[in-house]
Amino acid sequence: MPEEIKAHITGVVFEIAATPGARVAAGDPVIVLESMKMEIPVEAPRDGAVKEILVREGQTVQEGDVVALLE
Amino acid sequence: MGMRDLVDELSAKRTRIRKMGGEEAVLRQHAAGKLTVRERLDLLFDPGTFAEIGIHATHAGIAPDLAGRETPADGVVAGFGRIDGRLASVIAYDFTVMAGSMGRTAEIKCNRAREVAYTKRVPMIWLIDSAGARIQEAIGSKSFAGSGLLFREESIMSGVVPQVAAMMGPGAAGTAYIPALADFVPMVRGTSNMALGGPPLVKAVVGEDITAEELGGSKVHCEVSGCGDLEVEDDRACIRAVKDYLAYFPANNTERPPGAPCDDPADRREEALLTLVPDSPRRAYDVKKVVRAVVDHGVFFELKPAWAKNVVVGLARLAGAPVGIVANQPMVLGGALDVDAADKAARFIMLCDAFGIPLVFLQDVPGFMVGSKVERAGIIRHGAKMLYAVSEATVPKLTVVLRKAYGAGYFVMCGRGYEPDLIVAWPTAEISVMGPEGGTNIVFRREIAAAADPDAERARRVEEFRKLINPYMAAGAALIDDVIDPRETRGVLIRGLEMARTKTLLRPWKKHGVMPV
Repeated sequence: MPEEIKAHITGVVFEIAATPGARVAAGDPVIVLESMKMEIPVEAPRDGAVKEILVREGQTVQEGDVVALLE
Repeated sequence: MGMRDLVDELSAKRTRIRKMGGEEAVLRQHAAGKLTVRERLDLLFDPGTFAEIGIHATHAGIAPDLAGRETPADGVVAGFGRIDGRLASVIAYDFTVMAGSMGRTAEIKCNRAREVAYTKRVPMIWLIDSAGARIQEAIGSKSFAGSGLLFREESIMSGVVPQVAAMMGPGAAGTAYIPALADFVPMVRGTSNMALGGPPLVKAVVGEDITAEELGGSKVHCEVSGCGDLEVEDDRACIRAVKDYLAYFPANNTERPPGAPCDDPADRREEALLTLVPDSPRRAYDVKKVVRAVVDHGVFFELKPAWAKNVVVGLARLAGAPVGIVANQPMVLGGALDVDAADKAARFIMLCDAFGIPLVFLQDVPGFMVGSKVERAGIIRHGAKMLYAVSEATVPKLTVVLRKAYGAGYFVMCGRGYEPDLIVAWPTAEISVMGPEGGTNIVFRREIAAAADPDAERARRVEEFRKLINPYMAAGAALIDDVIDPRETRGVLIRGLEMARTKTLLRPWKKHGVMPV
Protein backbone atom coordinates (compact mmCIF):
# COMPACT_ATOMS: atom_id res chain seq x y z
CA MET A 1 0.00 0.00 0.00
CA PRO A 2 1.79 3.19 -1.12
CA GLU A 3 1.82 6.06 1.34
CA GLU A 4 0.31 9.38 0.29
CA ILE A 5 2.51 12.45 0.71
CA LYS A 6 0.37 15.53 1.28
CA ALA A 7 1.06 19.22 0.93
CA HIS A 8 1.10 20.84 4.39
CA ILE A 9 0.58 24.35 3.03
CA THR A 10 -1.30 25.93 0.15
CA GLY A 11 1.08 27.08 -2.59
CA VAL A 12 2.48 26.68 -6.08
CA VAL A 13 4.71 23.76 -7.08
CA PHE A 14 8.12 25.38 -7.52
CA GLU A 15 10.23 22.32 -8.17
CA ILE A 16 9.91 18.54 -8.46
CA ALA A 17 12.81 17.40 -6.32
CA ALA A 18 12.57 13.60 -6.72
CA THR A 19 11.79 11.48 -9.77
CA PRO A 20 9.56 8.38 -9.79
CA GLY A 21 11.58 5.35 -8.76
CA ALA A 22 14.14 7.42 -6.82
CA ARG A 23 15.08 6.28 -3.32
CA VAL A 24 14.48 8.93 -0.68
CA ALA A 25 15.33 9.04 3.02
CA ALA A 26 12.96 10.39 5.67
CA GLY A 27 13.19 14.18 5.54
CA ASP A 28 14.35 14.38 1.91
CA PRO A 29 12.39 16.87 -0.20
CA VAL A 30 10.06 15.22 -2.73
CA ILE A 31 8.68 18.44 -4.15
CA VAL A 32 9.27 22.09 -3.26
CA LEU A 33 6.31 24.46 -2.92
CA GLU A 34 6.42 28.20 -3.15
CA SER A 35 4.25 29.87 -0.55
CA MET A 36 4.58 33.02 1.55
CA LYS A 37 7.43 33.95 -0.85
CA MET A 38 9.43 31.04 0.50
CA GLU A 39 10.55 27.76 -0.99
CA ILE A 40 9.03 25.18 1.28
CA PRO A 41 10.02 21.52 0.84
CA VAL A 42 7.43 18.75 1.15
CA GLU A 43 9.45 15.96 2.70
CA ALA A 44 9.30 12.17 2.61
CA PRO A 45 7.77 11.03 5.90
CA ARG A 46 9.97 7.88 5.89
CA ASP A 47 12.61 6.07 3.82
CA GLY A 48 11.27 4.58 0.60
CA ALA A 49 11.02 4.83 -3.17
CA VAL A 50 8.95 7.48 -4.92
CA LYS A 51 6.15 5.65 -6.77
CA GLU A 52 4.52 8.58 -8.46
CA ILE A 53 4.61 12.39 -8.56
CA LEU A 54 1.04 13.66 -8.90
CA VAL A 55 1.69 17.35 -9.56
CA ARG A 56 3.62 19.40 -12.10
CA GLU A 57 5.66 22.57 -11.73
CA GLY A 58 3.57 25.72 -11.62
CA GLN A 59 0.46 23.92 -10.38
CA THR A 60 -1.40 25.33 -7.38
CA VAL A 61 -2.02 22.82 -4.59
CA GLN A 62 -4.18 23.16 -1.51
CA GLU A 63 -3.10 22.14 1.96
CA GLY A 64 -3.92 18.43 2.31
CA ASP A 65 -3.70 17.63 -1.41
CA VAL A 66 -1.80 14.44 -2.24
CA VAL A 67 1.31 15.46 -4.20
CA ALA A 68 3.17 12.14 -4.45
CA LEU A 69 3.03 8.47 -3.55
CA LEU A 70 5.76 6.71 -1.64
CA GLU A 71 6.36 2.96 -2.11
CA MET B 1 1.75 -3.12 74.22
CA GLY B 2 4.94 -1.27 75.06
CA MET B 3 6.51 1.34 72.83
CA ARG B 4 8.89 -1.20 71.30
CA ASP B 5 5.95 -3.37 70.20
CA LEU B 6 4.10 -0.32 68.95
CA VAL B 7 6.96 0.83 66.76
CA ASP B 8 7.39 -2.72 65.47
CA GLU B 9 3.74 -2.62 64.50
CA LEU B 10 4.26 0.76 62.81
CA SER B 11 7.26 -0.55 60.93
CA ALA B 12 5.31 -3.61 59.76
CA LYS B 13 2.48 -1.38 58.53
CA ARG B 14 4.88 0.80 56.56
CA THR B 15 6.54 -2.20 55.01
CA ARG B 16 3.18 -3.62 53.94
CA ILE B 17 1.99 -0.31 52.47
CA ARG B 18 5.23 0.21 50.56
CA LYS B 19 4.48 -3.03 48.73
CA MET B 20 1.73 -1.02 47.04
CA GLY B 21 -0.92 -3.10 45.27
CA GLY B 22 0.95 -6.35 45.89
CA GLU B 23 3.43 -8.52 44.07
CA GLU B 24 1.17 -9.40 41.16
CA ALA B 25 0.13 -5.82 40.48
CA VAL B 26 3.76 -4.66 40.63
CA LEU B 27 4.70 -7.39 38.11
CA ARG B 28 1.94 -6.16 35.81
CA GLN B 29 3.16 -2.57 36.19
CA HIS B 30 6.70 -3.60 35.21
CA ALA B 31 5.45 -5.81 32.37
CA ALA B 32 3.68 -2.76 30.95
CA GLY B 33 7.09 -1.05 30.77
CA LYS B 34 6.36 1.23 33.71
CA LEU B 35 8.18 1.79 36.98
CA THR B 36 6.20 1.68 40.21
CA VAL B 37 5.27 4.93 41.87
CA ARG B 38 7.92 4.43 44.57
CA GLU B 39 10.65 3.69 42.02
CA ARG B 40 9.69 6.89 40.24
CA LEU B 41 9.96 8.94 43.42
CA ASP B 42 13.38 7.42 44.15
CA LEU B 43 14.52 8.79 40.79
CA LEU B 44 12.86 12.17 41.27
CA PHE B 45 14.17 13.17 44.69
CA ASP B 46 17.69 13.47 46.04
CA PRO B 47 18.47 10.31 48.07
CA GLY B 48 16.99 10.34 51.56
CA THR B 49 15.08 13.60 51.16
CA PHE B 50 11.55 12.38 50.42
CA ALA B 51 9.10 12.76 53.31
CA GLU B 52 5.79 11.03 52.73
CA ILE B 53 2.43 12.44 53.76
CA GLY B 54 -0.55 10.19 54.44
CA ILE B 55 1.08 6.79 54.00
CA HIS B 56 -1.55 5.20 56.27
CA ALA B 57 -4.47 6.49 54.26
CA THR B 58 -6.96 3.95 52.98
CA HIS B 59 -10.32 4.10 51.22
CA ALA B 60 -13.18 6.01 52.78
CA GLY B 61 -15.19 2.93 53.71
CA ILE B 62 -18.29 4.05 51.87
CA ALA B 63 -18.20 1.73 48.88
CA PRO B 64 -19.69 -1.72 49.70
CA ASP B 65 -17.39 -3.54 47.28
CA LEU B 66 -14.32 -2.21 49.09
CA ALA B 67 -15.43 -3.48 52.50
CA GLY B 68 -12.68 -5.46 54.22
CA ARG B 69 -10.09 -4.49 51.59
CA GLU B 70 -7.13 -2.22 52.06
CA THR B 71 -6.04 0.32 49.48
CA PRO B 72 -2.38 1.04 50.36
CA ALA B 73 -1.77 4.81 50.65
CA ASP B 74 -5.20 4.96 48.96
CA GLY B 75 -3.62 4.74 45.52
CA VAL B 76 -1.57 7.89 45.62
CA VAL B 77 1.80 8.72 47.16
CA ALA B 78 2.11 12.32 48.35
CA GLY B 79 4.85 14.25 50.07
CA PHE B 80 7.80 16.53 49.62
CA GLY B 81 11.54 16.26 49.05
CA ARG B 82 14.51 17.88 47.39
CA ILE B 83 15.36 17.91 43.69
CA ASP B 84 18.95 18.98 43.08
CA GLY B 85 18.82 20.43 46.58
CA ARG B 86 15.60 22.41 46.11
CA LEU B 87 12.28 21.63 47.77
CA ALA B 88 9.26 20.44 45.77
CA SER B 89 5.92 18.82 46.56
CA VAL B 90 4.59 15.74 44.77
CA ILE B 91 1.39 13.84 44.10
CA ALA B 92 2.14 10.52 42.43
CA TYR B 93 -0.68 8.17 41.49
CA ASP B 94 -0.17 4.44 42.06
CA PHE B 95 -1.69 2.37 39.26
CA THR B 96 -1.12 -0.86 41.23
CA VAL B 97 -3.78 0.22 43.73
CA MET B 98 -7.24 0.36 42.15
CA ALA B 99 -5.72 1.64 38.91
CA GLY B 100 -4.57 4.80 40.67
CA SER B 101 -8.17 5.98 40.85
CA MET B 102 -8.81 9.20 42.75
CA GLY B 103 -10.51 8.09 45.96
CA ARG B 104 -12.03 10.30 48.59
CA THR B 105 -9.21 9.82 51.11
CA ALA B 106 -6.63 10.12 48.34
CA GLU B 107 -8.05 13.54 47.54
CA ILE B 108 -7.57 14.68 51.15
CA LYS B 109 -3.92 13.67 50.86
CA CYS B 110 -3.60 15.51 47.56
CA ASN B 111 -5.08 18.64 49.12
CA ARG B 112 -2.41 18.40 51.79
CA ALA B 113 0.43 18.06 49.27
CA ARG B 114 -0.87 21.03 47.26
CA GLU B 115 -0.97 23.00 50.50
CA VAL B 116 2.78 22.32 50.89
CA ALA B 117 3.46 23.71 47.43
CA TYR B 118 1.02 26.59 47.57
CA THR B 119 1.59 27.99 51.05
CA LYS B 120 5.32 27.31 51.11
CA ARG B 121 5.68 28.54 47.49
CA VAL B 122 7.57 25.59 46.03
CA PRO B 123 7.00 23.67 42.77
CA MET B 124 4.08 21.22 42.52
CA ILE B 125 4.68 18.02 40.60
CA TRP B 126 2.11 15.40 39.59
CA LEU B 127 3.12 11.98 38.30
CA ILE B 128 -0.06 10.80 36.64
CA ASP B 129 -0.90 7.12 36.20
CA SER B 130 -4.56 6.98 37.04
CA ALA B 131 -7.87 5.74 35.72
CA GLY B 132 -9.54 8.96 36.93
CA ALA B 133 -12.19 9.36 39.60
CA ARG B 134 -12.94 6.31 41.77
CA ILE B 135 -16.55 6.09 40.74
CA GLN B 136 -17.58 3.89 43.71
CA GLU B 137 -16.65 6.75 46.04
CA ALA B 138 -17.60 9.68 43.85
CA ILE B 139 -21.09 8.55 42.93
CA GLY B 140 -24.03 10.54 44.26
CA SER B 141 -24.41 14.29 44.60
CA LYS B 142 -23.54 14.19 48.31
CA SER B 143 -20.03 13.20 47.34
CA PHE B 144 -19.62 14.93 43.96
CA ALA B 145 -21.17 18.34 44.65
CA GLY B 146 -18.28 19.36 46.90
CA SER B 147 -15.46 18.12 44.68
CA GLY B 148 -13.34 19.73 41.97
CA LEU B 149 -11.50 22.32 44.05
CA LEU B 150 -8.15 20.96 42.86
CA PHE B 151 -8.58 22.66 39.49
CA ARG B 152 -9.47 25.98 41.06
CA GLU B 153 -6.39 25.82 43.27
CA GLU B 154 -4.20 24.82 40.36
CA SER B 155 -5.53 27.76 38.33
CA ILE B 156 -4.99 30.23 41.14
CA MET B 157 -1.41 29.04 41.71
CA SER B 158 -0.58 29.14 38.01
CA GLY B 159 2.30 31.56 37.62
CA VAL B 160 2.98 31.58 41.37
CA VAL B 161 4.81 28.25 41.59
CA PRO B 162 5.98 26.04 38.72
CA GLN B 163 3.48 23.23 38.11
CA VAL B 164 4.48 20.07 36.25
CA ALA B 165 2.23 17.15 35.33
CA ALA B 166 4.14 14.16 33.99
CA MET B 167 1.98 11.67 32.12
CA MET B 168 3.34 8.22 33.02
CA GLY B 169 0.22 6.17 32.42
CA PRO B 170 -3.41 6.96 31.76
CA GLY B 171 -5.00 10.21 32.83
CA ALA B 172 -8.71 10.17 32.22
CA ALA B 173 -11.32 12.82 32.88
CA GLY B 174 -10.39 14.40 36.24
CA THR B 175 -6.73 13.49 35.87
CA ALA B 176 -6.63 15.01 32.36
CA TYR B 177 -7.45 18.51 33.59
CA ILE B 178 -4.44 18.45 35.91
CA PRO B 179 -2.01 18.48 32.94
CA ALA B 180 -4.29 20.90 31.10
CA LEU B 181 -3.61 23.52 33.79
CA ALA B 182 0.04 22.61 34.40
CA ASP B 183 2.99 24.50 32.87
CA PHE B 184 4.89 21.48 31.61
CA VAL B 185 3.52 18.11 30.48
CA PRO B 186 5.99 15.43 29.39
CA MET B 187 4.35 12.22 28.11
CA VAL B 188 5.87 8.74 28.06
CA ARG B 189 5.63 7.15 24.62
CA GLY B 190 3.45 4.05 24.47
CA THR B 191 2.23 3.98 28.07
CA SER B 192 0.72 7.40 28.70
CA ASN B 193 -2.50 8.83 27.40
CA MET B 194 -5.00 11.46 28.40
CA ALA B 195 -8.57 12.22 27.40
CA LEU B 196 -11.55 13.91 28.97
CA GLY B 197 -13.50 10.73 28.23
CA GLY B 198 -11.71 7.37 27.96
CA PRO B 199 -12.51 4.80 25.23
CA PRO B 200 -15.43 3.08 27.06
CA LEU B 201 -17.16 6.41 27.68
CA VAL B 202 -16.48 7.52 24.09
CA LYS B 203 -18.00 4.27 22.81
CA ALA B 204 -21.07 4.65 25.03
CA VAL B 205 -21.70 8.34 24.38
CA VAL B 206 -20.70 9.02 20.78
CA GLY B 207 -20.39 5.47 19.45
CA GLU B 208 -16.77 5.81 18.35
CA ASP B 209 -14.51 2.73 18.58
CA ILE B 210 -11.01 3.87 19.44
CA THR B 211 -8.04 2.79 21.55
CA ALA B 212 -6.67 4.91 24.38
CA GLU B 213 -3.45 5.39 22.37
CA GLU B 214 -5.27 6.62 19.25
CA LEU B 215 -7.57 8.77 21.34
CA GLY B 216 -4.99 10.51 23.50
CA GLY B 217 -1.55 8.92 23.29
CA SER B 218 1.69 10.86 23.41
CA LYS B 219 1.85 11.19 19.63
CA VAL B 220 -1.64 12.68 19.45
CA HIS B 221 -0.96 15.25 22.15
CA CYS B 222 2.66 16.09 21.31
CA GLU B 223 2.17 16.30 17.52
CA VAL B 224 -1.49 17.14 16.88
CA SER B 225 -3.38 18.67 19.81
CA GLY B 226 -0.51 20.56 21.45
CA CYS B 227 -1.65 19.44 24.93
CA GLY B 228 1.64 17.62 25.58
CA ASP B 229 5.03 19.38 25.74
CA LEU B 230 7.51 16.58 25.19
CA GLU B 231 7.35 12.93 24.14
CA VAL B 232 9.83 10.88 26.20
CA GLU B 233 11.05 7.32 25.71
CA ASP B 234 10.34 5.82 29.12
CA ASP B 235 9.77 6.56 32.80
CA ARG B 236 13.43 7.32 33.47
CA ALA B 237 13.61 9.83 30.62
CA CYS B 238 10.38 11.36 31.90
CA ILE B 239 11.71 11.97 35.42
CA ARG B 240 14.94 13.29 33.89
CA ALA B 241 12.90 15.76 31.81
CA VAL B 242 11.00 16.98 34.88
CA LYS B 243 14.26 17.65 36.72
CA ASP B 244 15.91 19.30 33.70
CA TYR B 245 12.87 21.54 33.22
CA LEU B 246 12.68 22.63 36.85
CA ALA B 247 16.40 23.50 36.88
CA TYR B 248 15.53 26.61 34.81
CA PHE B 249 12.84 27.82 37.22
CA PRO B 250 12.83 29.62 40.53
CA ALA B 251 10.85 28.02 43.37
CA ASN B 252 8.20 30.72 42.93
CA ASN B 253 7.49 33.99 41.18
CA THR B 254 9.14 36.16 43.84
CA GLU B 255 12.56 34.58 43.38
CA ARG B 256 15.04 34.95 40.55
CA PRO B 257 15.58 32.00 38.20
CA PRO B 258 18.57 29.96 39.38
CA GLY B 259 21.91 30.78 37.79
CA ALA B 260 24.47 28.08 37.11
CA PRO B 261 28.25 28.15 36.86
CA CYS B 262 29.29 28.56 33.22
CA ASP B 263 32.67 27.97 31.59
CA ASP B 264 31.44 28.67 28.05
CA PRO B 265 33.14 32.02 27.22
CA ALA B 266 30.70 34.94 27.03
CA ASP B 267 32.49 36.37 23.99
CA ARG B 268 32.70 33.05 22.11
CA ARG B 269 32.49 33.78 18.37
CA GLU B 270 30.69 31.22 16.26
CA GLU B 271 32.13 31.03 12.75
CA ALA B 272 29.32 28.76 11.53
CA LEU B 273 26.86 31.64 11.83
CA LEU B 274 28.61 33.44 8.98
CA THR B 275 27.40 30.95 6.38
CA LEU B 276 24.19 29.61 7.89
CA VAL B 277 21.69 31.95 6.24
CA PRO B 278 21.42 31.16 2.51
CA ASP B 279 22.06 33.97 0.03
CA SER B 280 18.58 33.55 -1.43
CA PRO B 281 15.98 35.07 0.90
CA ARG B 282 13.59 32.39 -0.35
CA ARG B 283 15.70 29.52 0.98
CA ALA B 284 15.20 27.84 4.33
CA TYR B 285 17.76 26.95 7.02
CA ASP B 286 17.46 25.40 10.46
CA VAL B 287 17.12 28.13 13.09
CA LYS B 288 17.88 25.61 15.86
CA LYS B 289 21.47 25.73 14.62
CA VAL B 290 21.52 29.43 15.55
CA VAL B 291 20.04 28.68 18.96
CA ARG B 292 22.56 25.93 19.73
CA ALA B 293 25.48 28.02 18.47
CA VAL B 294 24.59 30.92 20.75
CA VAL B 295 23.48 29.39 24.09
CA ASP B 296 25.78 27.94 26.77
CA HIS B 297 27.36 24.69 25.59
CA GLY B 298 24.69 24.29 22.90
CA VAL B 299 22.21 22.96 25.47
CA PHE B 300 18.62 23.76 24.46
CA PHE B 301 15.59 22.32 26.28
CA GLU B 302 12.96 22.58 23.57
CA LEU B 303 9.27 22.54 24.43
CA LYS B 304 6.60 21.22 22.05
CA PRO B 305 9.31 20.26 19.49
CA ALA B 306 6.91 18.21 17.36
CA TRP B 307 3.93 20.58 17.32
CA ALA B 308 3.64 23.91 15.47
CA LYS B 309 7.23 23.44 14.33
CA ASN B 310 7.20 26.74 12.41
CA VAL B 311 8.06 28.41 15.70
CA VAL B 312 10.71 27.06 18.06
CA VAL B 313 10.44 27.69 21.81
CA GLY B 314 12.50 26.42 24.71
CA LEU B 315 14.79 27.05 27.63
CA ALA B 316 18.53 27.55 27.64
CA ARG B 317 21.21 29.52 29.49
CA LEU B 318 23.36 32.49 28.58
CA ALA B 319 26.40 32.96 30.83
CA GLY B 320 24.63 30.65 33.27
CA ALA B 321 21.36 32.59 33.45
CA PRO B 322 18.15 30.92 32.26
CA VAL B 323 16.52 32.42 29.16
CA GLY B 324 13.48 31.53 27.06
CA ILE B 325 14.11 31.38 23.32
CA VAL B 326 11.41 32.18 20.76
CA ALA B 327 12.61 31.62 17.19
CA ASN B 328 10.91 31.44 13.81
CA GLN B 329 11.75 28.25 11.93
CA PRO B 330 12.19 28.85 8.17
CA MET B 331 12.38 25.06 7.65
CA VAL B 332 8.67 24.67 8.38
CA LEU B 333 6.03 26.66 6.46
CA GLY B 334 8.84 29.08 5.65
CA GLY B 335 8.60 30.28 9.25
CA ALA B 336 5.18 31.84 8.63
CA LEU B 337 3.09 32.02 11.80
CA ASP B 338 -0.23 30.18 11.91
CA VAL B 339 -2.87 29.51 14.54
CA ASP B 340 -0.96 26.83 16.44
CA ALA B 341 2.39 28.63 16.26
CA ALA B 342 0.86 31.80 17.72
CA ASP B 343 -0.75 29.75 20.47
CA LYS B 344 2.50 27.93 21.26
CA ALA B 345 4.61 31.09 21.34
CA ALA B 346 2.08 33.13 23.36
CA ARG B 347 1.85 30.47 26.04
CA PHE B 348 5.63 30.16 26.26
CA ILE B 349 6.08 33.93 26.55
CA MET B 350 3.56 33.98 29.42
CA LEU B 351 5.37 31.10 31.11
CA CYS B 352 8.73 32.87 31.03
CA ASP B 353 7.26 36.22 32.05
CA ALA B 354 5.48 34.64 35.03
CA PHE B 355 8.74 33.29 36.43
CA GLY B 356 11.08 36.16 35.57
CA ILE B 357 12.90 34.33 32.79
CA PRO B 358 14.26 36.78 30.17
CA LEU B 359 13.16 36.27 26.57
CA VAL B 360 15.32 36.12 23.46
CA PHE B 361 13.56 36.50 20.12
CA LEU B 362 15.24 35.30 16.92
CA GLN B 363 13.31 36.73 14.00
CA ASP B 364 13.05 35.33 10.51
CA VAL B 365 9.38 35.58 9.77
CA PRO B 366 7.62 36.20 6.45
CA GLY B 367 4.50 37.19 8.41
CA PHE B 368 1.31 35.50 9.47
CA MET B 369 -0.21 32.93 7.14
CA VAL B 370 -2.94 34.31 4.94
CA GLY B 371 -5.81 32.59 3.16
CA SER B 372 -9.32 31.35 3.85
CA LYS B 373 -8.18 28.34 5.82
CA VAL B 374 -6.36 30.31 8.52
CA GLU B 375 -8.96 33.09 8.59
CA ARG B 376 -11.68 30.54 9.29
CA ALA B 377 -9.52 29.04 12.00
CA GLY B 378 -9.39 32.48 13.65
CA ILE B 379 -5.83 33.58 12.88
CA ILE B 380 -6.79 37.14 13.90
CA ARG B 381 -7.78 35.98 17.36
CA HIS B 382 -4.83 33.59 17.73
CA GLY B 383 -2.31 36.06 16.35
CA ALA B 384 -3.62 38.55 18.90
CA LYS B 385 -2.65 36.16 21.71
CA MET B 386 0.95 36.60 20.74
CA LEU B 387 0.65 40.39 20.50
CA TYR B 388 -0.95 40.33 23.92
CA ALA B 389 1.62 38.05 25.54
CA VAL B 390 4.65 39.93 24.20
CA SER B 391 3.07 43.27 25.20
CA GLU B 392 2.32 42.10 28.74
CA ALA B 393 5.76 40.61 29.32
CA THR B 394 7.91 42.79 31.57
CA VAL B 395 10.93 40.48 31.78
CA PRO B 396 14.09 41.51 29.89
CA LYS B 397 13.44 41.07 26.16
CA LEU B 398 16.20 40.88 23.54
CA THR B 399 15.53 40.74 19.82
CA VAL B 400 17.83 39.67 17.00
CA VAL B 401 16.50 40.10 13.46
CA LEU B 402 18.27 37.36 11.49
CA ARG B 403 16.57 37.92 8.18
CA LYS B 404 12.89 38.60 7.50
CA ALA B 405 10.86 40.73 9.85
CA TYR B 406 7.71 41.23 7.83
CA GLY B 407 4.43 42.73 8.87
CA ALA B 408 2.84 41.77 12.16
CA GLY B 409 5.43 38.99 12.39
CA TYR B 410 7.92 41.72 13.34
CA PHE B 411 5.58 42.99 16.06
CA VAL B 412 4.79 39.67 17.74
CA MET B 413 8.47 38.68 17.67
CA CYS B 414 9.21 41.72 19.84
CA GLY B 415 9.86 44.45 17.31
CA ARG B 416 10.86 47.92 18.47
CA GLY B 417 7.30 48.83 19.52
CA TYR B 418 7.20 45.97 22.06
CA GLU B 419 9.82 47.22 24.51
CA PRO B 420 12.85 45.12 23.64
CA ASP B 421 15.72 46.11 25.95
CA LEU B 422 18.01 45.54 23.00
CA ILE B 423 17.10 45.04 19.35
CA VAL B 424 19.84 44.25 16.85
CA ALA B 425 19.95 42.92 13.30
CA TRP B 426 22.22 40.73 11.23
CA PRO B 427 23.30 42.37 7.94
CA THR B 428 20.78 40.08 6.15
CA ALA B 429 17.82 41.66 7.98
CA GLU B 430 14.79 42.99 6.12
CA ILE B 431 12.40 44.89 8.37
CA SER B 432 9.35 45.73 6.33
CA VAL B 433 5.58 45.95 6.30
CA MET B 434 5.78 43.18 3.69
CA GLY B 435 8.29 41.43 1.45
CA PRO B 436 9.75 43.24 -1.58
CA GLU B 437 7.78 41.16 -4.11
CA GLY B 438 4.42 41.64 -2.43
CA GLY B 439 5.09 45.30 -1.68
CA THR B 440 6.18 46.08 -5.23
CA ASN B 441 3.10 44.45 -6.73
CA ILE B 442 0.84 46.63 -4.62
CA VAL B 443 2.70 49.97 -4.64
CA PHE B 444 3.81 49.94 -8.30
CA ARG B 445 0.88 48.02 -9.80
CA ARG B 446 0.11 50.73 -12.36
CA GLU B 447 3.74 51.40 -13.33
CA ILE B 448 4.39 47.70 -13.82
CA ALA B 449 1.27 47.26 -15.95
CA ALA B 450 2.14 50.29 -18.09
CA ALA B 451 5.76 49.30 -18.70
CA ALA B 452 6.88 47.96 -22.07
CA ASP B 453 8.41 44.96 -20.28
CA PRO B 454 6.36 44.45 -17.08
CA ASP B 455 8.58 41.62 -15.76
CA ALA B 456 11.75 43.67 -16.11
CA GLU B 457 10.01 46.65 -14.53
CA ARG B 458 8.82 44.50 -11.63
CA ALA B 459 12.34 43.11 -11.08
CA ARG B 460 13.79 46.62 -11.11
CA ARG B 461 11.20 47.86 -8.61
CA VAL B 462 11.79 44.84 -6.34
CA GLU B 463 15.50 45.63 -6.18
CA GLU B 464 14.71 49.27 -5.37
CA PHE B 465 12.28 48.14 -2.69
CA ARG B 466 14.93 45.86 -1.20
CA LYS B 467 17.27 48.82 -0.73
CA LEU B 468 14.63 50.53 1.41
CA ILE B 469 14.42 47.63 3.86
CA ASN B 470 18.06 46.76 4.50
CA PRO B 471 19.02 46.99 8.18
CA TYR B 472 20.95 50.25 7.79
CA MET B 473 17.66 52.00 7.02
CA ALA B 474 16.22 51.06 10.43
CA ALA B 475 19.61 51.55 12.12
CA GLY B 476 20.03 54.90 10.37
CA ALA B 477 16.75 56.05 11.88
CA ALA B 478 17.96 54.75 15.28
CA LEU B 479 15.01 52.34 15.36
CA ILE B 480 17.22 49.36 15.95
CA ASP B 481 20.19 49.54 18.30
CA ASP B 482 22.85 48.04 16.08
CA VAL B 483 23.71 45.90 13.08
CA ILE B 484 25.92 43.04 14.27
CA ASP B 485 28.26 40.43 12.86
CA PRO B 486 26.36 37.13 13.26
CA ARG B 487 29.45 35.59 14.84
CA GLU B 488 29.16 38.08 17.74
CA THR B 489 25.55 37.20 18.56
CA ARG B 490 26.30 35.37 21.81
CA GLY B 491 28.38 38.18 23.26
CA VAL B 492 25.83 40.80 22.25
CA LEU B 493 23.01 38.86 23.93
CA ILE B 494 24.97 38.27 27.14
CA ARG B 495 25.88 41.95 27.46
CA GLY B 496 22.23 42.85 26.77
CA LEU B 497 21.01 40.48 29.46
CA GLU B 498 23.44 41.89 32.00
CA MET B 499 22.29 45.42 31.14
CA ALA B 500 18.60 44.48 31.43
CA ARG B 501 18.92 42.60 34.71
CA THR B 502 17.54 45.48 36.77
CA LYS B 503 14.70 46.24 34.33
CA THR B 504 11.73 47.80 36.09
CA LEU B 505 8.43 48.37 34.33
CA LEU B 506 5.35 49.26 36.29
CA ARG B 507 2.11 48.67 34.43
CA PRO B 508 -1.14 50.46 35.32
CA TRP B 509 -3.17 48.64 37.94
CA LYS B 510 -5.87 46.35 36.61
CA LYS B 511 -7.65 43.30 37.92
CA HIS B 512 -6.58 41.52 34.76
CA GLY B 513 -6.77 42.15 31.06
CA VAL B 514 -9.15 40.49 28.64
CA MET B 515 -6.87 38.06 26.95
CA PRO B 516 -7.86 37.17 23.37
CA VAL B 517 -7.96 33.40 24.05
